[in-house]
Amino acid sequence: ASMVAALPQGPTHVDCPEDEDFLSAFDRMVSDNIQDRMRETVKPQQVDISVPLHIKGNAKKTYEQLQETRVEEKSTMNFVLMVRKGHKQQYKSLAVPINSELALNLKNREEAERAE
Amino acid sequence: EEEDDEAYYNKDLPEYACKYCGIHDPSCVVMCNVCKKWFCNGRGNTSGSHIINHLVRAKHKEVTLHKDGPLGETVLECYSCGVRNVFVLGFIPAKADSVVVLLCRQPCAAQSSLKDMNWDQEQWKPLIADRCFLTWLVKIPSEQEQLRARQISAMQINKLEELWKDNADATFQDLEKPGVDEEPQQVLLRYEDGYQYQNIFGPLVKLEADYDKKLKESQTQENIEVRWDVGLNKKTIAYFTLAKTDGDMKLMHGDELRLRYLGELHKPWSGVGHVIKIPDNFGEEVGIELKNNSGAPTDCISHFVVDFIWKSTSFDRMQLALRKFAVDDSSVSGYIYHRLLGHDVEEVLFRCHLPKHFSAPNLPDLNRSQVYAVKHAVQRPLSLIQGPPGTGKTVTSATIVYHLVKQSGGSVLVCAPSNIAVDQLTEKIHRTGLKVVRLCAKSREAIESPVSFLALHNQIRNMDCNTELQKLQQLKDETGELSSVDEKRYRMLKKAAEKELLEAADVICCTCVGAGDPRLQRLKFHSILIDESMQSTEPECMVPVVLGAKQLILVGDHCQLGPVVMCKKAARAGLSQSLFERLVVLGIRPFRLEVQYRMHPELSRFPSNFFYEGSLQNGVCAEERKLTKIEFPWPQQDKPMFFYVTQGQEEIAGSGTSYLNRTEASNVEKLATRFLRCGVKPEQIGVITPYEGQRAYLVQYMQYQGSLHAKLYQEIEVASVDAFQGREKDLIIMSCVRSNEHQGIGFLNDPRRLNVALTRSKYGIIIVGNPKVLSKQPLWNHLLNFYKEQKVLVEGPLNNLKESLIQFSKPKKLVN
Ligand SMILES: [Zn+2]
Ligand SMILES: [Zn+2]
Ligand SMILES: [Zn+2]
Repeated sequence: ASMVAALPQGPTHVDCPEDEDFLSAFDRMVSDNIQDRMRETVKPQQVDISVPLHIKGNAKKTYEQLQETRVEEKSTMNFVLMVRKGHKQQYKSLAVPINSELALNLKNREEAERAE
Repeated sequence: EEEDDEAYYNKDLPEYACKYCGIHDPSCVVMCNVCKKWFCNGRGNTSGSHIINHLVRAKHKEVTLHKDGPLGETVLECYSCGVRNVFVLGFIPAKADSVVVLLCRQPCAAQSSLKDMNWDQEQWKPLIADRCFLTWLVKIPSEQEQLRARQISAMQINKLEELWKDNADATFQDLEKPGVDEEPQQVLLRYEDGYQYQNIFGPLVKLEADYDKKLKESQTQENIEVRWDVGLNKKTIAYFTLAKTDGDMKLMHGDELRLRYLGELHKPWSGVGHVIKIPDNFGEEVGIELKNNSGAPTDCISHFVVDFIWKSTSFDRMQLALRKFAVDDSSVSGYIYHRLLGHDVEEVLFRCHLPKHFSAPNLPDLNRSQVYAVKHAVQRPLSLIQGPPGTGKTVTSATIVYHLVKQSGGSVLVCAPSNIAVDQLTEKIHRTGLKVVRLCAKSREAIESPVSFLALHNQIRNMDCNTELQKLQQLKDETGELSSVDEKRYRMLKKAAEKELLEAADVICCTCVGAGDPRLQRLKFHSILIDESMQSTEPECMVPVVLGAKQLILVGDHCQLGPVVMCKKAARAGLSQSLFERLVVLGIRPFRLEVQYRMHPELSRFPSNFFYEGSLQNGVCAEERKLTKIEFPWPQQDKPMFFYVTQGQEEIAGSGTSYLNRTEASNVEKLATRFLRCGVKPEQIGVITPYEGQRAYLVQYMQYQGSLHAKLYQEIEVASVDAFQGREKDLIIMSCVRSNEHQGIGFLNDPRRLNVALTRSKYGIIIVGNPKVLSKQPLWNHLLNFYKEQKVLVEGPLNNLKESLIQFSKPKKLVN
């Protein structure tokens, strides 16, 4: 028998002074750190961050692939995160939720391209 | 060997568990690079995820992802400039491809050189959104996972962060640690989570363990004389007599004692043995079977010393169970978890096929309330069955177990706090034809019981398919020892055979603490039944529960004796309340068995009215509970009960810590003799007395002063109320002992103890005591008034009993 329904849904938010303090401390932390970066005037190194060709190719889907994903209605979309280890590039695959802004943007762009 | 096993199963949170809530799914946690602590990406009941809470409060800014997470071990940093401050980090996607790169907002993402590339700079987004890390970097634990974890509040997070400033290794437990002299935290009705539960019960178990240790280690007795013997198994046995105390010390079968020789006739020697005999009607001697035969000075008699050896096993197992309950989400189902903690969870039913006939093979047919109880238990993930005295609790439990096995096909774990209760239930379940294994502690394997043949160690001996093991066993039995190669092989074969038998069993029966045996730790039990559950402490009950409970049945009676907790501090803090009781207070209605088959209807009247709101019905009639051909001078012939007014002086017994009352003893002897003379067999009679001093005195007195042969009195069981719980006798004589005006009445003022004492007999009960003293206690006042109304409060010689004219104050209304 399924009993999941009988359980409480999840932790509920509890308001308290310590949580309020956290909220404002967080906002301050973000803005202070960004402000600090602006003042620091770090000179960015000129590194090559061009999108690697092999990934470019992979990203362009065949018609069949497009059909597949549409039928399956997957909940995530595969992305690649580019990171740098010393001077070498590394690629880590990412499962991005289909309803995230990142995924939606790419989808919209793809559809726009196809429409052209 | 056993100790190693225990350590092996010692389950603890991994290093990467969230320091706040304990969640340890690698894909949900992040390490703070500054303090190397891990935190999860769930927000619990606060406004930001735990990792963000930590970074903000500690002002730490750099993190690393877990190696087993979706991205593998990754330090979050700007691809371009390498900055690791997560508060300025974000990502941008490629314009046309599914590629992203981490960049800091200033200056890298704003850099003009990127403009010509394929990157969509306008799309820069921070890594922290809504005060959590983006879910594609670090997953958010599911709602269920978060609910199962420690419910830490923002206030506690704050405090913990403060603690870390002084001591980086401080843990959540340190938040709640009481000071040295402080009273421990009281038990609660409801608990936030398994961690809070552990934090409250852990210290109480520790208190009890420390107390027990101190007590045992202070019990050394000197100038002991030893009588040596050899057992059937060729092991050396030492018999000796210890001075009596009424303290909390209770020697039990299986306890360990150390015997030391201090005389000059032999070189110094000490040996350890398990208790195989305790003081009883057949003698006051204690017997221990030595673990190792060699070198014992068996021709020396005097100059021995006895030490008590404290063992931490049972306490360790409770602590382990508490931790497992908090940390391991497979220890119990979510439903059981929340229910036990007292959370609001809707009651649910299992959808299952109910059998047509509820009675199990070879067990008595069930009555209506028993059938309902079985139905009730089989359908629910959590149920309480209340079995007042004589209502067929054991048969009902055995029948429930039978149906659980038939329905699930899986194995069922059956526990009770005491070995006696486990044996009784084991015997009944075995009768239904199920495959039963009785698991005993290794220290108790030498002790005989009616179900010895079901014990794992004996079943292994009878596995005829395993000839090599048989041969080694035979060799070991004959020679006492094996070569180290053979011993290794023997252990390996035995372990494998044990595993095979345990896995094939329908039902495994053991004590609650026995469920912590390493041999059971790899098994999972979905259905667990605990009998006499009100007699175990909560942590004790948890030992079996955490073996995977999805369906839990607690059988007991919160109107009978609770667990024995020796440390007053721990008892005061609530360790002496059983889980059964707490669940009743939480509003889980126990299903009550209502028909009693034990007592003569006149005997059940007071207990039914007083302890069970008058709900106990009688399944036996007066005729069936009449001792035929027995001429006994009951003051009222249709009421086999009376209170025998006895004004004796209470004395302090020889050892100085125990009470005895000679007049009462003499009256008990007269009553017993009278019963024996008119044809009652000695084993039909039980004598209940609360003090060890009175027990020893009574046994001696009857055997030496009784007018019949000493052998007859030997067969009459004389013991404390506690020793009679769960059992019955045809006739009970109760000696109350205390008649001291100033000191109250010792432990007879616990209503539950009185309930047990009054409900042990089937055919008749006689209470011997001083009514004047007893009536000062409200509960006894009720009982004495009841006896007076029934005209069974009497005095004078046995063959001429007269109603006593003593007056009591009117009983006050008692709230139970
Ligand atoms: Zn940190
Ligand atoms: Zn957490
Ligand atoms: Zn940068």
